Amino acid sequence: MLVSEKITYRYKKNKRTILNSVDYSLEEGQFSAVMGESGSGKSTFLAIMAGILKPVEGTVRYNDVDLYELTDKELSKIHRNSICYVPQSNIMLKNITVLENIVNPYIEADPEADLKKKAISLLEKLGIGNLAGNYPYELSGGELKRASIVRAALMGPKVIIADEPTTGLDKETGNRILSFLSEYAKEGNSVLVATHDEHIEKYADKIIRLERK
Amino acid sequence: MIKSKIRSILSGVKSRIFYSTCLVITTAVLSFMLFSGSIIKSSLNKGMDNMDRRLGSDIMLVPKGSREEAENLLLEGQRGTFYFDGSVDDKVKDIEGISEVTSQCFLKSLSADCCSSEVELVFYDPDTDFVVGPWIETNYKNSLKKDDVIVGSDIVTENGTIKLFGKDYEVVSQMAKTGTALDSSVYFSSESMASVIADAEEKNSFLTEEQKDGDILSSVFINLNAGYNEDDVIRECHEKAGDVFDVVYPKQLNESLSDNLLRITDIVGAVILIGGVLLFGILVLINSVIIESRKQEVALLRVLGNSKGKMAAMLISETGIVSLFGSLVGCLLGALIVIPFGRYIGMSLSMPYLGPDFIGSTLQIIFIMAIVFLVALVSSIVFVFHVTGIEPYLALKKEAE
Repeated sequence: MLVSEKITYRYKKNKRTILNSVDYSLEEGQFSAVMGESGSGKSTFLAIMAGILKPVEGTVRYNDVDLYELTDKELSKIHRNSICYVPQSNIMLKNITVLENIVNPYIEADPEADLKKKAISLLEKLGIGNLAGNYPYELSGGELKRASIVRAALMGPKVIIADEPTTGLDKETGNRILSFLSEYAKEGNSVLVATHDEHIEKYADKIIRLERK
Repeated sequence: MIKSKIRSILSGVKSRIFYSTCLVITTAVLSFMLFSGSIIKSSLNKGMDNMDRRLGSDIMLVPKGSREEAENLLLEGQRGTFYFDGSVDDKVKDIEGISEVTSQCFLKSLSADCCSSEVELVFYDPDTDFVVGPWIETNYKNSLKKDDVIVGSDIVTENGTIKLFGKDYEVVSQMAKTGTALDSSVYFSSESMASVIADAEEKNSFLTEEQKDGDILSSVFINLNAGYNEDDVIRECHEKAGDVFDVVYPKQLNESLSDNLLRITDIVGAVILIGGVLLFGILVLINSVIIESRKQEVALLRVLGNSKGKMAAMLISETGIVSLFGSLVGCLLGALIVIPFGRYIGMSLSMPYLGPDFIGSTLQIIFIMAIVFLVALVSSIVFVFHVTGIEPYLALKKEAE
């Protein structure tokens, strides 16, 4: 479904190679994890797989389409419907509610009422349905992370790529998120996460480890 | 689709309420300055044009000691009750060098007699007139008959008539607004003067003895033939009519006012220009801060499936909508302050002032909103393309660090 071939990435400034000719494949229904110490290139790898950071060498194919050969418009369509990326930080606009933060990026694509209904159902699934009308500054880090995951899952993308979704969270919240992502994968989608969390072994179908170069 | 686009834009505006408010205030101030400045400038110009049209004589003789009142009459249309002998015009009309002479007489009515406020009654001779006629000829081309009147724009008529001292007069024409006391004047032919005074006496209206006498004039307007010296003609007038008048030079008054107007409109223009440039700079600054602070948000929206073009359109639309709103607020505020106080502004500048009509004001508002909208867009466009051009992952990573 999502395949990388010999991807290499090195920083422009210091020329340090962070990923060197990495091959990887993410299959349908698979929950896959990338582990490794800090600086090993987990986040960079995820960004490249998500189609938001062009590798120096190599290709990333989604259903046989090279993501980095697409036009901006074509790639945006893929990001909207097929591959959704959850960044490490919880980026939310503070003057609008959690529900608006989740729905607004897609407001032009679907009727607002349907999107809100779906968002509330997903928030409930992650145990924060009661916080939909709250403002982001009223939520804890774990709650914000769950809201970010709901935002990524809202349009039902075939692939969710989440960068350290459980970092800094308590065990119970971390497990809840991993459980949600695991279930999401089992519904015929795919999930790729970067994590330090050893509990991932309980949920992931496939784990790769990256070494710091 | 359009509805959801507007909703999306408005939610973006709401999510950055502080910056949106800054932008609204800035565009409102800019629009207020542009609107107020341009309205004052055009009203002064219009007032001046009007005055140009009614200052139709080389010299004007007025009763001795009434020069100031007469100048007020010319500048602001404020009528006075000053009189000299009714034969002054006859005495001077044959002096060599004088090409035409006409006279006017002014009375004030009591408000209870006809109108909600005091009105000025102006008697003039349509046969010799060259002052009032050109001013009203677009409205009324026929000669004014006895018991016909022409009224100023502020006079309210009933079924084409006006009641003065208990008698109905047919209103044959209503003049355009001048922005002066002329707007509350009623113009009669000199033939009507005796009967109007008789009616006033019958109604026990207050009249001075000289008014009751009836053979009076308030001013004599004189045009000279080319090549004749004003001082020589005035000397001759003194010889014929005696030392009963002062002289006012309407065209000189007009020229000095034109100079004043030029200075004032230059200052207003300079203030608009400097203010516009300053505020453009402030808009650039605000836009750069707003858009810089939105890098992460833009990056996130990009990874959630919004193309660069769509992001640019969204950011520009937000700036556009906010600046249009701010501009509307500024223009309306300007209209609320400048239009009702227009007369006062004219008086405090000692200039004739003719404010804009509703359509003129509306067109001005639309024009200024369009200008401010364009300025706001131009000031934001560079930053928009800078932000939409960044690598989303790098912007998100910066946030995480």
